[in-house]
Amino acid sequence: MKKNKYLLLISSLGVSALLLAAAVDENYLRGWRRVQNSVFGANDVRLRQIVVPAMRTTDRCVSCHVGMMPGETPVAKHRLASAHPRVPHDPAQFGCTSCHGGQGRATERADAHGDTEFWPEPMLPRQFASAGCGTCHSHVQVPDLASMQQSQRQLERADCLACHRIDGRGGTQRPGGQGGMEGPDLSKIGAAGWKADWFARHLERQQTDKDGVWKASFRELDPSQRSDIEKYLITRVGAPDLVEAKALFHSLGCRGCHKIRGVGGDDGPDLTRVGMRDVHRLDCSNVPGEHTLPNWLAAHFRWPAKIVAGSKMPVLGLTESQIDRLTLYMLSLRDSQFPEAFWPGDRLRIERLGDREFADNGVTLYRTFCAACHGDRGEGRRYPDNVPFPAIANPDFLAVADDAFLIRSITDGRPGRRMPAWNKNSGGLNDEEIARIVQYLRGLSGTAAPVGQRAEHRWVQADAAAGKRRFAAMCAGCHGANGEGTQAPALHNASLLAAATDSFFVETIRRGRKGTAMPGFSGASTSYPALTQQEIESVVAYIRIWEDKGR
Amino acid sequence: MSDQSRSDSALRKFFTDLTRAPRRIYEAAFRSGAPVTDRTRSGFVFNNVFLHLHPVRTHRWSLRWTTTLGLGMASTAAFLIALVTGVLLMFYYKPYPDVAYNSIKDIHFVVPTGRFIRNIHRWSANLMVLMVMLHMVRAFYTSAYRTPREFNWLVGMGLLVVTLGLSFTGYLLPWDQLAYWAITIGANIAQSPRELTDALGVTSVVDVGGLQRQLLLGSDTVGEEALIRFYLLHVMILPLLIGVLMAVHFWRIRKDGGLTRPADADERLEPRRPDVYPVFTEAPQKTYQLAAIVRGRSSAVGRGPENTVPSMPHLFYAELGVLMVTTLVCLALSLAADAPLKELANPGVPENPAKAPWYFLGLQELVSYSAFMGGVGLPAIAVIGLGLIPFLDREQLGSGAWFGGPGGRWLAFRSAAFGLGLTLAIEVFAIRFGWIREWYPHVPQLVITVINPGTILALGYAAYSLWLVKRYNSARSGAMGLFTCAMCGFVVLTVIGTYFRGPNWGFFWSPADWPTH
Repeated sequence: MKKNKYLLLISSLGVSALLLAAAVDENYLRGWRRVQNSVFGANDVRLRQIVVPAMRTTDRCVSCHVGMMPGETPVAKHRLASAHPRVPHDPAQFGCTSCHGGQGRATERADAHGDTEFWPEPMLPRQFASAGCGTCHSHVQVPDLASMQQSQRQLERADCLACHRIDGRGGTQRPGGQGGMEGPDLSKIGAAGWKADWFARHLERQQTDKDGVWKASFRELDPSQRSDIEKYLITRVGAPDLVEAKALFHSLGCRGCHKIRGVGGDDGPDLTRVGMRDVHRLDCSNVPGEHTLPNWLAAHFRWPAKIVAGSKMPVLGLTESQIDRLTLYMLSLRDSQFPEAFWPGDRLRIERLGDREFADNGVTLYRTFCAACHGDRGEGRRYPDNVPFPAIANPDFLAVADDAFLIRSITDGRPGRRMPAWNKNSGGLNDEEIARIVQYLRGLSGTAAPVGQRAEHRWVQADAAAGKRRFAAMCAGCHGANGEGTQAPALHNASLLAAATDSFFVETIRRGRKGTAMPGFSGASTSYPALTQQEIESVVAYIRIWEDKGR
Repeated sequence: MSDQSRSDSALRKFFTDLTRAPRRIYEAAFRSGAPVTDRTRSGFVFNNVFLHLHPVRTHRWSLRWTTTLGLGMASTAAFLIALVTGVLLMFYYKPYPDVAYNSIKDIHFVVPTGRFIRNIHRWSANLMVLMVMLHMVRAFYTSAYRTPREFNWLVGMGLLVVTLGLSFTGYLLPWDQLAYWAITIGANIAQSPRELTDALGVTSVVDVGGLQRQLLLGSDTVGEEALIRFYLLHVMILPLLIGVLMAVHFWRIRKDGGLTRPADADERLEPRRPDVYPVFTEAPQKTYQLAAIVRGRSSAVGRGPENTVPSMPHLFYAELGVLMVTTLVCLALSLAADAPLKELANPGVPENPAKAPWYFLGLQELVSYSAFMGGVGLPAIAVIGLGLIPFLDREQLGSGAWFGGPGGRWLAFRSAAFGLGLTLAIEVFAIRFGWIREWYPHVPQLVITVINPGTILALGYAAYSLWLVKRYNSARSGAMGLFTCAMCGFVVLTVIGTYFRGPNWGFFWSPADWPTH
């Protein structure tokens, strides 16, 4: 029975050894203990955390990043013990993960940064840090990039930067060691807001000014300049790179297919929470480099169909810097679950008061929602494997299409085609916004709305059977034998037939559309004889059969 | 003067008593004195409420390592370790959805030694399931279920079921994706009688499956009701139940005359050391104890000179040794690998594949063919079959010896080959060619419930076992064939379910081949 004694002895020694090993591991080898030991010494090693019950965050990041712990004295230039940069939101009040993401409860590097298989929300990489603002904020009235740059130039031309500092540029130190700037820093003015009478007050100061500074650097501005400046100022919310990324997004027409907070097309996935997607649930087999969400997004912007099999998203030919900015904006679409009491004003304005994330002028609206398919200037687009998108700024088109037709087309879309309906219940635009888009379109071609057309919606009375023969011979090649639209717009589309007047059809066939494949049939071409008015009307009568059949 | 001396002596007595108090407290608690003679050693055991479940003396055969391999004690040890660590975990665990997950995160990251304790709890629980199963295998192959131990075999089966219940209820508590979907699968298995009632068209009248699932979850889906239910089962009801069953199980060993041993055990043991005093020098014809009023024979009657040694210390060294080895294994595993914790449970994002705990994956594999048969039919047949073994095998040949009985070791080996071969063949066939539903999509479900890989396996095992009964003219040989086949089937199905099943329960050689969408 000696065997059993030795078994007991040896196993007990083994257990003691393992317990000792576990104790050493627990008390001396944990990363955060070693960090604190080197910074504070052995006597002040303890778990440090920021707990914000209302936001349901428990962030132990400060157990390693000890310099950011409220109440601790930071060590300058230390890798971990240095202070948090000055930011609008005090970490002591908001915690760490609410902006940066990651796993606040964790006390080990990989777990805390979320670089583990089972943590769906990893930390935002440093270069995309400002995407964290999107957790709560959704900046309002961001114009398209070109408009924003134009209004920025307007502001610089008006010499505002002589006194004011914006995003680290401009501003003048007061002479004579008084310290401070001549004018206040405007980098966050969009969030703070400004007095409506700022211009009158500036003017008053200029007129009563004695030492010449105001006289030299401020001058009268006309109302359009002022409104341009204000358009720029409203975008200055302390996150210039994020706003610029959003402006780029509003320039490329992405929302023509993608919804964000209920506004946008339906062809692509809803992007409202795309920044919080769990990369482990995405197919990363073709993503080069590390399999992270930013890399997935960037690779997807380069070659959509290579990353998402069967994606209908066209290859946009973006530059690397554009891809970086779009990735930043995508990551900022986070839509947190924080209680409403924590929502900032901008988000409340958008989700509760119906304000818009995009600027409300025609050019921004057009670029935000239409540019991807109809081109930046309405010239139409042709992507591989897609029916060409119509050139809607074509003067021949705008000369025959009245506003009612355009509004109706935008409102109802083209069901069955890729053009979505943009009414309040589908695409989410309101009547006023649609009217602004139409107005902008008119401006693009410089063509006035048609006048003198017959008032009736349908007036053609002609021989549809003859029209059918002519259609088969002259139109079916592009518009399809049944008007289904192979290379050209689908003519049997119920929405089109409802929106278009007979005058629209007759005029379009007569004039054609210069610059597109659609010839004018009033004169003979190399392949077609000229059609008489009666012959054109017969084709229209045939087209109308589809509408009657559809009823 | 006399008053003075009396008070003097009372005072002295008080202080003497005070100094003697610790010793007296010890003597009051341990009445039999230091265990140095056989007599005081016996008292050490039967005067102790915890130890008296043991026999006072232990047969030397029982102390040989090859007799039991320490598996029963290892199960007990694993339970004790899980009990202690489990109680420690209860200080921090909060049984409410989402909060539960956060409390596990806190245990993992900031509770002092919390991660280590949770790891030990998880490993000891898994070890317990494994040890209990192996203990049953040992008991079967040494014919330890035979008269008079039939009832203890049944108690042991009860312990197996409660052990699985404990492990399964603990699975949900972390409230992560792994837990949530494993329990969802488990609850669906509980609902599987519905396949039969659906096929018969009587679900609206008798919905046994739905009722079972409702009882288990307290709701239609896994939610806060299920969590509190599982928690209560896990920390109170099942531990109490297993405690009672364990007490009966151990006490029964004593009452049934110790562990089973071969008839020739005494001859096969090396000679007893001269200092070990034999209790009996010749076989007793009757024993005097309560047996005077108890019917039947005492287990000692008719037995030869006993080769026993005092349980204190011989048995206890062995038991403590196994306890410490089990602890050592748990600690080593806990340092090597963390208990899993996935993302927070999300009812909207199903895990694919969602897998039950590993010991149910054999069942899940069968459920994938027929929910009723895999979830209820075959497990019920297995449990009934196991329970019937001691009542059908009434033989005595080979009791107490490994693979005793007609056929012996060779039969066990051949049955294993047959069992592995048949199970693998049917699995390969079903994986390669599909099953009836793939060939005839419109066949009634009842046909599949009756004819599926699980039932075919069961029939194959049964036919083989009946043939063995005839061939060896022995129920024991049949039981050996059937049990061996069933164990092989369990292992093969569990391994396939664990390592080779991927999304939508498809077959994959490795998780690297899983499609990501």
